[in-house]
Amino acid sequence: MRKYSITYFIGQSIKGLWRNGIMSMASITVLMSCLAVMGSFSLLVININYNLEEIGVLNEIVVFVETERTELEVVDIYNQIRSLDNVNTVTHITKEEVKEEERLRFEKYPAVFKLIDDGGKNPYPDTFIVTYNDNSKVNTLQFNLNNIKGVENVRCNKDLAKSIDEVKNGIIVIFIWFLVILFVVSLFVIINTIKLGVFSRRQEISIMRYVGATNWFIVLPFILEGIIIGIVASGFAYLIQWYSYLYIFNTISKDFQIINLIIFEDVRIFVALGFLAIGVVTGIIGSSLSLSKYLKA
Amino acid sequence: MIEFKNVKKVFLNGTVALDGVNLKINDGEFVFVVGASGAGKTTLVKLLLREEKITSGKLMVDEFDLAKIPNYKVPFYRRQIGVVFQDFRLFEKKTVFENVAFAMRVIGEPAKVIKRRVPTILKIVNLQDKFDCFPTELSGGEQQRVALARALANNPRTIIADEPTGNIDPNMSLEIMNLLIKIQKKNKTVIVVTHEEKLVDYFQQRVISLRDGRVIDDRTGGMFNAQV
Ligand SMILES: Nc1ncnc2c1ncn2[C@@H]1O[C@H](COP(=O)(O)OP(=O)(O)O)[C@@H](O)[C@H]1O
Ligand SMILES: [Mg+2]
Repeated sequence: MRKYSITYFIGQSIKGLWRNGIMSMASITVLMSCLAVMGSFSLLVININYNLEEIGVLNEIVVFVETERTELEVVDIYNQIRSLDNVNTVTHITKEEVKEEERLRFEKYPAVFKLIDDGGKNPYPDTFIVTYNDNSKVNTLQFNLNNIKGVENVRCNKDLAKSIDEVKNGIIVIFIWFLVILFVVSLFVIINTIKLGVFSRRQEISIMRYVGATNWFIVLPFILEGIIIGIVASGFAYLIQWYSYLYIFNTISKDFQIINLIIFEDVRIFVALGFLAIGVVTGIIGSSLSLSKYLKA
Repeated sequence: MIEFKNVKKVFLNGTVALDGVNLKINDGEFVFVVGASGAGKTTLVKLLLREEKITSGKLMVDEFDLAKIPNYKVPFYRRQIGVVFQDFRLFEKKTVFENVAFAMRVIGEPAKVIKRRVPTILKIVNLQDKFDCFPTELSGGEQQRVALARALANNPRTIIADEPTGNIDPNMSLEIMNLLIKIQKKNKTVIVVTHEEKLVDYFQQRVISLRDGRVIDDRTGGMFNAQV
């Protein structure tokens, strides 16, 4: 059994990439941009979802009880809500809890809260967070909730939820188109890089054929070039993603405290593996397409 | 053994390059193939290398039926044939040693075997002093000997040379031909395409003459017949 050394192939690939330095750089840059854009979009969508869950606008109705209702009456309202059709869960937030939450929110403005505390009377209502099962029957539920005696106000975010959903879907559609275009461009650049490599080594390849080199022996260095382009591009894209996300994270958490961003460390493994997989697969597809002629005969 | 049976080669543009060629070349034979430019000599070589496929007829080389051999087997078939061209086709940036080693490396010979075998081959072609030279530092004759060494590297059964002396000093041509004879003596089939009338007559070997894609003469003992 003859042995082909992997170092030979890797050496050949690196030499090839080096020889076509500018094209290799172009391939890496374009693929890297593609991955970084894809990553940014994905993180954006993930963060939108995460925040929507946090705010809880989806499948959720907030019921405010009249402030003058007694604790017993509130318990009665709770039971009535529970017995309604289409209700999934009911969470009670007492007026005291609401007050403490609000106190935290106004931590920087103790003066505001001092007024409330001094008033002696809790101005916040008992609140029920109602989640439901069936979106299509939400209007009936809203009507029923409004009809319960002692309920002051029912806030249903179905319109907001709907428009946020639409925005999100819009973003995803744009994102997919953008990605398709970027991947086509990446493939195009990679194909041309490899083709140029094949062209500049055509003499070597023709001699290889004459002395009986197998096709895969001839082709493997070029496939490896594609893989190396993919690995390097995904590495750079990861770094770019990391630093840009950290920057945005710091900016947003400082200036817009209501928005909760996912911590990069929580998703880094997915970002890294995703980039690597897509980068390498793109590299392999690109080089295989440019070598299809050679893979045949 | 190489056998052409009524071989026809028509190129895509309709040119009939070979037209009903019948030939038998035995193992260990030495043959010259002669003929005017455009007679079909290079086409004959390309068919033997399976660089081109025959259009009709039958072409057998040992156990290989070249019309039927599957693509993946072609490289293994080619390892049994060493080929030399008029323009040498050496790597200018590789040394003599590396040029020869290249042929062995691409078929996966271990480095140890390469190290041992390359000097032996370079000795056969009298280049034992030029291991580390680059092709540009060599004469045409020497470059062709490197190409010949490369053709021999994988110990092929057959050597095919397409106008090997076409680009070199006439004084050096004789040396190349002598080497090819020496190689044939090592029990290899040698096919030499050439224009050099005097050399063909000098060596008194079998001569196959082509004209317009047909074999017009096939005899042993010189007699350059291309112009017949
Ligand atoms: N790839 C090709 N396509 C079309 N015609 C070709 C091709 N190669 C050679 N020919 C034609 O085939 C004929 C024989 O060519 P060739 O075998 O190269 O001749 P020789 O080597 O004897 O000079 C010529 O007429 C040449 O123009
Ligand atoms: Mg010719």
